[in-house]
Amino acid sequence: MSATYDQLIALLTKLHEAPPGDITPDVTYAELDVDSLTLVEISMHVERELGVSIEDNELHPDLSLGATAKLIDERLAS
Amino acid sequence: MPSADPPPEPDDRPHPSGPRAAGGRRERAAVLCGLAGWVPPRIVTNDELSQRLDTSDEWIRTRTGIGQRHFVEPGQATSDLAVEAGRRALESAGIAQVDALVVATTTPDRSCPATAPLVAHRLGLTGAAAFDVSAVCTGFVYGLASAAGLITAGVATRVLLIGADTYSAIVDPDDRTNAIIFGDGAGAVVLRAGHSEEPGAIGHFDLGSDGAGEELIIVAAGGSRQRSTPGEVSRADRHFAMQGKAVYRHAITRMSASARASLTAADWKVDEVDHFVPHQANQRILRAVADDLGLPPERCVSNVESVGNTGAASIPLALADAAARKVIEPGDRVLLTAFGGGLTWGSCLLSWPTLAPRTPSAPTTVTPVSAPAEEGGPHAS
Repeated sequence: MSATYDQLIALLTKLHEAPPGDITPDVTYAELDVDSLTLVEISMHVERELGVSIEDNELHPDLSLGATAKLIDERLAS
Repeated sequence: MPSADPPPEPDDRPHPSGPRAAGGRRERAAVLCGLAGWVPPRIVTNDELSQRLDTSDEWIRTRTGIGQRHFVEPGQATSDLAVEAGRRALESAGIAQVDALVVATTTPDRSCPATAPLVAHRLGLTGAAAFDVSAVCTGFVYGLASAAGLITAGVATRVLLIGADTYSAIVDPDDRTNAIIFGDGAGAVVLRAGHSEEPGAIGHFDLGSDGAGEELIIVAAGGSRQRSTPGEVSRADRHFAMQGKAVYRHAITRMSASARASLTAADWKVDEVDHFVPHQANQRILRAVADDLGLPPERCVSNVESVGNTGAASIPLALADAAARKVIEPGDRVLLTAFGGGLTWGSCLLSWPTLAPRTPSAPTTVTPVSAPAEEGGPHAS
């Protein structure tokens, strides 16, 4: 996966405890039991650290980690 | 507005780390000289809520850090809480009269008149100026600025400020989202005229608002926009509503920025702050703001586990609890920051004064759930 994915995983694991083996590009936030407020924090960190703005409704529980990294990369490229 | 007894003497010990006037000049300032908190005796545990709501103790603790909260008994109102805290704060300050009383609340006894005059009357504060401040969970910091302003403008020599809220009156008990968060309580401080260089001097306020976020934290009905007419107002509109995710984002952003503004104004560095006392919204917001500011968790004062979010009462309740536990000691540098509906936010700084231990201390954070209540309320400082 991309450097963005690695950055996303780094900040996710800082904010949410999950078994390392469970963290894959295909897993969703809901499957990792990441709640809505943690999603807000992830969004705020992405905005601050990667310079990409993500609306609260875009970062939803059924989104996968890989899809999130793709969304961020698309914003970075645009 | 004359007082019956003379004001306490200013503390003339030098305290260079306290909020200073520009250029280091001593200026008239409001100085903290009394503090107390009070919560109603009835404890509502997470397990009790779980019996009627689709939730659990683990779920509530994980998401909010709250273990219990206190509710008033039927018939008790915000003025009842305010009187208890106010009386104890006056005892803490060792005075019987003030020139002005400010009550910060979102849940006044009535739409009209303000709650403060009734509280003043019941406390025997004859003739004192009395008014309410409405800034939701920022109410205490806005109230501090108002009270300090009365003193620095020479309008008053001593002011009693009470933050009191009865959220159980406006939160729908069947609303799983909000019923787990909020509790009832009151906290109070006494401010006296002093100078900017002494311990307890309060200053470097940063206050702000953004009414574009009006609907993020709201009780829709009951005011002039949507009047409370039986049969026409929905249950949802009669009760407190909050858009959690947006509020979470704004709270972290605004509290961090406001705290930094106060620190910059005072030329304090973040690592010079001994105690960060934020509005006790929920443990996760406290942690996120402290993290954003770069403050270690142990410097963040919290009693949200024991009392929940008590609105305008939360900061003085947390201060009273921390003082009772001797977590905050004289000379410590303290940063207060709040965020609330409006949207509103605010911060200020003070160095902790020596407060006379005139009232028994009973910290909220170590009170066992089964502890018997004393004198109608277990938590005074």
